Amino acid sequence: MRFWKFCLGKDYKEEDSMKKLITLAVCAIMIVGGITAQTKLTLWTQEGTAENAFQYVQDLAAAYSKVNPKVIIEVLNKETEALRQDYQTASLAGDAPDFLWTVSDHAGPFTAAALIQPVDKLVDLSKFGDASAASLDGKTWGVPITLGNHLMLLYNKDLIKAPPKDTAELIKMAADLNAKGTVALTWNQTEPFWFVPWLGAFKGGKVFAADGKTPNLNTPAMVSALQLLQDLKFKSKAYPAESDYNTADTMFKEGKAAMIINGDWSLGDYQKVMGDKLGIANIPQVKGAGWPAPYTAGKFFMITAGIDKAKLATIVDFIKFATTKENQLDMFSKLHRLPALKTAAADKLVASDPVQKASAAQMAVGVGMPSVLEMRAVWDAMKPEFIKVMSNSETPKDAAAAMQAAALAGIKALK
Amino acid sequence: MKDLTLQFMGASLANVGSTIIAVAVGVFLLEFALWLVFDRLLHHRLALPIMLLTPAVLGLAALVVYPLLFELQLAFSNMSLRRFKNPDYGLAIGWDNLKLMFTEPVLKQAKFFPLLLRTFLWTFIQISFHVSLGLFLAMLLNRKIRLKGLFRTLLVFPWAVPQVIAILAWRGEFNYEYGYVNILLRWLGMANPPQWLTEPTWNFIAINLVNIWLGIPFMMVTLLGGLQSIDSTYYEAAEIDGASPWQRFRAVTLPLLRPIMTPAIVLGIIWTFNNFNVPFLLNQNLLETSDILVTALFRAAFEYNRYGFAASFAIVVFLILLALTIVYMRISEFTPVTAAKVSVAAGEGKRPAKAAVAAAKGGA
Amino acid sequence: MRNVGTGRGIFRRTRYGTPAGLFATYLVLVIACVFAVYPILRIASVSLRPGDRLLSTDMSLFPPDATLDNYRAVMQDTKFPVWLWNSLAITLSTALIGVMIASTSAYAFSRWNFKGKKAGLIFLFAAQMIPAAMLMIPIYILAARLGLINTWRGLVIAYSVGSIPFSIWILKGYYDTIPIELEEAAMIDGASRMTAFTKIILPLSTPSLAIAFLFNFTQVWNDYLLGRIMLQRSDMFIWTQGIRTFADNFRTQWGQYSAASLIVSVPVMILFLASSKYLISGLTVGSVKG
Repeated sequence: MRFWKFCLGKDYKEEDSMKKLITLAVCAIMIVGGITAQTKLTLWTQEGTAENAFQYVQDLAAAYSKVNPKVIIEVLNKETEALRQDYQTASLAGDAPDFLWTVSDHAGPFTAAALIQPVDKLVDLSKFGDASAASLDGKTWGVPITLGNHLMLLYNKDLIKAPPKDTAELIKMAADLNAKGTVALTWNQTEPFWFVPWLGAFKGGKVFAADGKTPNLNTPAMVSALQLLQDLKFKSKAYPAESDYNTADTMFKEGKAAMIINGDWSLGDYQKVMGDKLGIANIPQVKGAGWPAPYTAGKFFMITAGIDKAKLATIVDFIKFATTKENQLDMFSKLHRLPALKTAAADKLVASDPVQKASAAQMAVGVGMPSVLEMRAVWDAMKPEFIKVMSNSETPKDAAAAMQAAALAGIKALK
Repeated sequence: MKDLTLQFMGASLANVGSTIIAVAVGVFLLEFALWLVFDRLLHHRLALPIMLLTPAVLGLAALVVYPLLFELQLAFSNMSLRRFKNPDYGLAIGWDNLKLMFTEPVLKQAKFFPLLLRTFLWTFIQISFHVSLGLFLAMLLNRKIRLKGLFRTLLVFPWAVPQVIAILAWRGEFNYEYGYVNILLRWLGMANPPQWLTEPTWNFIAINLVNIWLGIPFMMVTLLGGLQSIDSTYYEAAEIDGASPWQRFRAVTLPLLRPIMTPAIVLGIIWTFNNFNVPFLLNQNLLETSDILVTALFRAAFEYNRYGFAASFAIVVFLILLALTIVYMRISEFTPVTAAKVSVAAGEGKRPAKAAVAAAKGGA
Repeated sequence: MRNVGTGRGIFRRTRYGTPAGLFATYLVLVIACVFAVYPILRIASVSLRPGDRLLSTDMSLFPPDATLDNYRAVMQDTKFPVWLWNSLAITLSTALIGVMIASTSAYAFSRWNFKGKKAGLIFLFAAQMIPAAMLMIPIYILAARLGLINTWRGLVIAYSVGSIPFSIWILKGYYDTIPIELEEAAMIDGASRMTAFTKIILPLSTPSLAIAFLFNFTQVWNDYLLGRIMLQRSDMFIWTQGIRTFADNFRTQWGQYSAASLIVSVPVMILFLASSKYLISGLTVGSVKG
């Protein structure tokens, strides 16, 4: 409490000795407790109940406790953004959970605030697929659980026979479908996450300069990509005037739209609703440019910095348990997510699954989503301008310039 | 229901109950000690009020005063995500925080003064609609009509439904494709209805519409109470003098309603100025053009993690609101301290308390 | 209220009194009621639909394939009953404690003059202007230091105190309208000050006590932020936290969400109906809080 030091000076020492006393008491309790009681760990996860993923994490923890009766892992669920905010607040109060099961982009803010520790020396990362989504400053800050989280093209086989290979084909299809009163393609037009694949199709279409943290948004690639999407909407009428995630999702499910661009997380749901009618393909190539490159990311274990050795060893042991081939395959069969462990991903259970195969093909042309803290400013800068372009109230050129300015201002604010 | 076993219900009741008992015992011991010291030992004139006030004072010290001091301290720091564990403190840093607020964008592009203007506009629009429509409905309800109770109950609905739920329902209704608002507009012949959630101006209008809907019931109920306390003899006298309905409204209703209306407006200003849920939740696409000061404040603190800056910002927002309220109270000759007296003086009509007092006296 | 509201007839002989005027009055009121209730009916409609169809161009309020499946699912397959129970227990008790503490403090403010009274009243007034979100971090830190995270104890205390400033204002305003002679008469008859307070003032203040309770209840019932930072175990959640687990990052179970939304609205509705008799009288005088 610097405040007291600030105004009173002397009281600060008393508080200090008070702290020592409390620490002593806590130590005493821990020593006494350690003899009799078990190791208790707290894990926060952003997996929700909707897809039974939270249940899966809980079952995993319970299974571990069965093998190691001395360890109890309490699994608590927080919504993704709440997890980030509350983890920071809890760390401030010295009350943070021991480890996390969360999205790779949290690595940015958590490393900036020095809240988590690198895992390179704790786990053999070579066993896993690409963990670069959680790599920063030459260190890896999380152990991957599942990889993917990328967008792809899904289509309704009742409405179109084959997916469009490039944007020219898409435009032709849109004209045919519109004539029949069907929307050709639908997607979440409010999130730049759905925009970045198209940016990646153009040369130099990266949000950061070579140093990986200076925004590079006012580029010809950006203007071209924005122009492409604006034209597809207003000239070719390839997608509806306004659609957010839920609208797009509903239109596709109801058969009002022939195609949707959505992420691997939605596959299970569409398979359930549409069955054999569901087709999966890569996002169509941009005529005269490259293939769209969706961002890939994943879910990672992250470990709180500065926890004691005994606890750390238990956490690492649990992480190893959670990422055995057996458990990774179990996760695949229950949650339909691509395992991060190489041997599990190569297993025929995964490799022979047609949906997973198509998804993996799209992932192969994807790029890792940057997890640096600056990415947050870039997302926030792109979003409003992107929306303006999609409502035809700004030219792509102005939007690109405004994005760059906003990203620079945002990064300044993050300092 | 499988989790809600009797055992669980019992355990949770015991948990809450034990807290209540702990609070009660704590309060009792505290009161006893205060009583011993002030009444028995010092024979203090104010022993009883001290005892009456202490629990609230202690509670507010922990929940309001401590956090305020904490924020004040934070306002003099440069704490952010990059300086999370070891921020610097100092007067110069506090000054920098203040300076940044007025010279640089508070978020990415939104600057302080446009935000302030929008917040004032928002407060003004809201209060105008709440008061005028609330008063209009209250006057209708104050007439001799059938089913008065039913109307009143239905009209209070927007207030009674948990706010977040009502707002999210409205957000669905503003959906371009599937929302009822646009379906209605298309039915009326509008080919390209507004994109309520993505176009800045329309989004701000949508936010205003929803909050008007939410805020009318409170004003209506308050003003209805005021209308009912106006003695009918005033109207009869005015009628004998040949006053038109409009003149009666101007000369009788408005002035006699003022003692009720002014505090309700002051309260309305505070709630509207600080309204977080409506502008935050209806602005699904993070348009900075829909932010008002408090939502910008929240974003600066929790999305940009500029803790030090946000604390400074919070204090400034608080001071602006305080100033705004004071100015309004000056204009309307109303102060919190004399408020009670004003109301007694204005209470010429049959005030419920007086009626109850009369009844009590009659019974004695 | 009845004794106050009758015999009015303010506009009886005015232009509003004509049949056409009366018709217009009813028409406007009916339209206003439709506006007020419609969004809630839409929630009800979604809750009756099978599957997760929030969005549908189908505008019929009562879908042809209406089903109570969502209600059954929410009550049987989720922890929702537990959250509802937790919220009820916490909200009822904290609203009661809050009103109790405020009622005595307001009495001190109403009946005594002391140094700092004016400052105190202004402080209570200003306390309502503090943006709530800014108090979260310091409250969390305080609660963590006192070991109150993941306990209801911390939440019960915080909630009880949270609405005290507003309650004190409502109650003080109301007490001020009660003549002090009543207590003095009782004290001459040998009653103590506290007896006079509990036997005379409190019963007379029923309308404003009811209103203070109503405000406390709705405030706590609707709170999310404080619950979120204080409670982390799903068994302990209050409903505002729990209902968010129906909504994942992208996927929301709208049917269950809507069913749950309607269920949690019921207690507040009941309270509003029960206190509707006081809503007008209690708030009238209470709004003097300013």
